[in-house]
Amino acid sequence: MVNMYKKRKVVKGVPISLGIVMGRTRVILPGDIKVAEVAIAASSLDNEIQRLDKAVAITIEELRQTRDSAGKKIGGPVAKIFDAQLLIAGDYEFLKQVKEQIIAEKRNAGFIYNSLVKKTTSPLKKSDDAYMRQMVQDIEAVANKVLSHLGGYHQRPEVKFPADTILVGRSFTPGEVLSYRRRKVTGFLIGEGGRNSHMALIARSLLIPMVASERVWTRVPNNCRIIIDGTNGIAIINPADKDWVEYQRRRRHQGPATISRIKKLTQIPPLTADGMEINVAANLELPGPVDDILSWKNIPVGLYRTEFLYLEKDDFPDEKSQYEYYRGIAERFSKSEVVLRTFDLGSDKFRKNDDIIKEDNPALGWRGIRSMLEMTEVFKTQIRAILRASVHKNLKIMLPMISDITELEKAKKLIHQAMLDLRRENVPFDNQIRIGIMVEVPSAALTAELLAQKVDFMSIGTNDLTQYTMSTDRNNIRVANLYNSYHPSVLQLIKMTVEACMKYNKPVSVCGEMAGDKLALPLFIGMGVKNLSMNPAKITDICRLIKKIDSNLVYHLAVSVLSSHTAVSVTRKLQSFMTALEKK
Amino acid sequence: MMKKTATIVNKLGLHARPAALLVSTASGYESEVFFTKEDLRVNGKSIMGVMMLAAEKGTQLVLEVEGPDEEQAMEALLNVIASSFGEDV
Repeated sequence: MVNMYKKRKVVKGVPISLGIVMGRTRVILPGDIKVAEVAIAASSLDNEIQRLDKAVAITIEELRQTRDSAGKKIGGPVAKIFDAQLLIAGDYEFLKQVKEQIIAEKRNAGFIYNSLVKKTTSPLKKSDDAYMRQMVQDIEAVANKVLSHLGGYHQRPEVKFPADTILVGRSFTPGEVLSYRRRKVTGFLIGEGGRNSHMALIARSLLIPMVASERVWTRVPNNCRIIIDGTNGIAIINPADKDWVEYQRRRRHQGPATISRIKKLTQIPPLTADGMEINVAANLELPGPVDDILSWKNIPVGLYRTEFLYLEKDDFPDEKSQYEYYRGIAERFSKSEVVLRTFDLGSDKFRKNDDIIKEDNPALGWRGIRSMLEMTEVFKTQIRAILRASVHKNLKIMLPMISDITELEKAKKLIHQAMLDLRRENVPFDNQIRIGIMVEVPSAALTAELLAQKVDFMSIGTNDLTQYTMSTDRNNIRVANLYNSYHPSVLQLIKMTVEACMKYNKPVSVCGEMAGDKLALPLFIGMGVKNLSMNPAKITDICRLIKKIDSNLVYHLAVSVLSSHTAVSVTRKLQSFMTALEKK
Repeated sequence: MMKKTATIVNKLGLHARPAALLVSTASGYESEVFFTKEDLRVNGKSIMGVMMLAAEKGTQLVLEVEGPDEEQAMEALLNVIASSFGEDV
């Protein structure tokens, strides 16, 4: 009989932070913070109060230190995640209530503190609002620390782990992710937590692989071998030898290893075999160690997502903090350029307190430029901050989810109004700043000629373009196989966009996942695309392949591929080309 | 003691940033501050307390202020609420 704990099992989950790691599991069971109830003699109550004060003071000091070290390791905006916890820890009114109850009931500080925390969080836990739930996690994280300093309770052990430990648990606080990483944890398998939770943001900015799968801590044995693939959202428990070999091979092409290999690139931008320059750029979503490597090598950023600024606080930051953030980016990439995409947030990210906002279909609803054109103050604040940061003349503005020329015109009008305001206020900015659009909605691709005349550049978002064109939600397991960026219809829309840009002499780039897909590379070069912006982990491989490609030869490949009838036929042609190319 | 009612006007209600702003405004004054939403009364200087209010757009908040600087405190609080915390309505 096979021991069920030794059996190979594949867990399919959600990718939270990319990269591959291999190691052994350590399961941490989620537990309620249990604190013993102890009666305290009247003469000892003062001492109890003092212990509480001390525990809170130490907690606040620890949080400040964590915030400062996160600031150094990752960058200012991410460090602000800890500000929420500092605000909670420093809530002296709450502590006053705790102290009053300690005296009134003659009970130990830990017990009273814990019960009042539970009283505060239980109504919030019922909320279907992501911001409220994040608040609960922050309150519990702080409470955990205070209780640990008071002593005599049940908490997560602060131990050093063996090398290559993969932590398995329900979820972890950002502080825990930071500190576990210091203690040799190399990957995480968690039971809950969205891609935009604070925990996820920290994991991604530290390049630590993370996969989420419901109640995974009940399905994974402790101290067993495991492979985590954070890029595809897979975990393999008790992998077979063939798995180890396969993933060791894959690991060389994914995650942190590939990003440090960027340092070894010699030719930027890379040239094709026949000497044509292909502009390879990176897609980024938050500041981190990757930024420094890219800017050092003068690799530009073809898509810098800005939603993180909203998500770290569940709120739009003010102009000053946005300006500091964008200025930091502009200065870091002073020798190349950065395309900043304005906020692309949908109803699923905002508080659901408004009937208009509750949507059945957020992907097809109020998001991207649509939401910004209604939240004009938020949009203008972001534009003002970007403009102020544009004095180095290396920033570009990109508008997401444009589906219609009137949206573009309204947005440009708001941008020009912001420019007039700044001019009147004598604030300098780049008055030649380039304004472009994401082409991710089929209507934009189909009317690309109209749009091309009114923009400075276009960037094709192949992920969403594929979803909308094939009418398929790639996260819907039942239809996910229909999602295929190599479908002739998607290729035609890409072609239309590229041709429209060429006709009106506007730069066109591809910034979806397809841009980093080596199979698509000869097709794009053959179509005349000279700008590709991709996941940084793909940059070294793509640069290596570009050098082998002759742009004249792939023109014919592109013509042949674009006349194919099926996605299968497209991929077959591209696959055989790539196989031959890799042999060179 | 001063008692006034104010309506939360901003689109997204009393979420993280406005709650923190409200608490820091209240904390700047000596007077005691309480907010009541329906039958829930919380201390206005406590972020944990204000969080529990979960006040959405349109909520009628009753403000109670008592102390030596109650007039200034009430005015400041009413202003910050009426200005929708600098956000969209």
